[in-house]
Amino acid sequence: MAEIVCALGVPHTPAFPRMARSEGPEGPVERLFRAVREQLEAVQPDVLVVYDSDHVNTFFFNNWPTFAIGVTPQIYGPNDDNSGLPKTVVASNEDLAHHLYAGGIHSGFDFALAQKFEIDHSIMVPLHFVTPKLNVPIVPLFINGVAPPLPAAKRCFALGSAVRSTIEGWPQDLRVAILASGSFSLDVAGPMMEPGGNSGTPAMDWSNRVVELLGAGKITDLLEETTSDQIARAGNVAGEILNWIAMLGMLDGRKPAFVEKHDGFGHAFAAWRWD
Amino acid sequence: MSVYAINELCYRAVHDPPFREALLADPSGTLVTLDLTADERKALLERNVGQLYLWGANTFLLGHLMRYKLFGVEREQYSQSIWAAARSAGRPAGGP
Repeated sequence: MAEIVCALGVPHTPAFPRMARSEGPEGPVERLFRAVREQLEAVQPDVLVVYDSDHVNTFFFNNWPTFAIGVTPQIYGPNDDNSGLPKTVVASNEDLAHHLYAGGIHSGFDFALAQKFEIDHSIMVPLHFVTPKLNVPIVPLFINGVAPPLPAAKRCFALGSAVRSTIEGWPQDLRVAILASGSFSLDVAGPMMEPGGNSGTPAMDWSNRVVELLGAGKITDLLEETTSDQIARAGNVAGEILNWIAMLGMLDGRKPAFVEKHDGFGHAFAAWRWD
Repeated sequence: MSVYAINELCYRAVHDPPFREALLADPSGTLVTLDLTADERKALLERNVGQLYLWGANTFLLGHLMRYKLFGVEREQYSQSIWAAARSAGRPAGGP
């Protein structure tokens, strides 16, 4: 039987590869990603199920999904230029992906089906750090976190619970790790951008609150507080928190092995273990 | 108003390099091939990002104008324009 072995939450700032090079191995970016990577490597996953919000690079508004799943043998990315990462191909697990697609439909989560698509920095930046050899196949689940109206937090949490049940119903022996990609407060090129850069962190207080609730395992409070108004105040990509919330729906109340805020940013790094 | 076409222009700037090159080489000539109103073409050519934002264009996508310096959009001018537009609409804005 398939089993979930760990869950990871990380941001995907396109500048991270450049920052890691300039900060060096003991700088915050490398150190925080190393902490996450060590949790993942310790559980030897066969596949990584990724909750991600497309930044209008995988999909466009000609056909914009609230929830989508990629069902394909391999995926090209990044298809955007902002991270400077090499463009490459990542293996997927098409059989598991199709199982999750069907399982979602059967449990009331009507994923859009994507079979020919590319992924952007929001998946490739995390992979660059947590599976640098790209040797763990991924299955991407997309949640609209950038173009309101966004799905409700409770709906995303329930989606995660349904995906967990579907994974655990997969008859093959498979060690499944989960990765949620995104920030809690970030406005990229929107009106809350700050001088001197192309982004802003309009709700550092909210980001800190999320980190506090994650650490304490107060997920009910987090679901109550993650309203569409709160997300809007926190920036134009702050809906990426919905990826984390879907992941939390799989955790059955587990406390994190660690959760750490990235100083100066509206995001954090975290890991949960099943053992 | 065709916010869809403004968003599409920004999307294609990333994913259609020949289109991006055409926009850089001949901004007004390329715009007339798109499904935009005269007001929208004017706003783009005048780098009036704040107006595009107020019309409802996706702000993450508008950022591509700044990244590729389309129509001569530079970060400082982009910021000033979008901040002023947000303030004029009574919405939160960053900046000084």
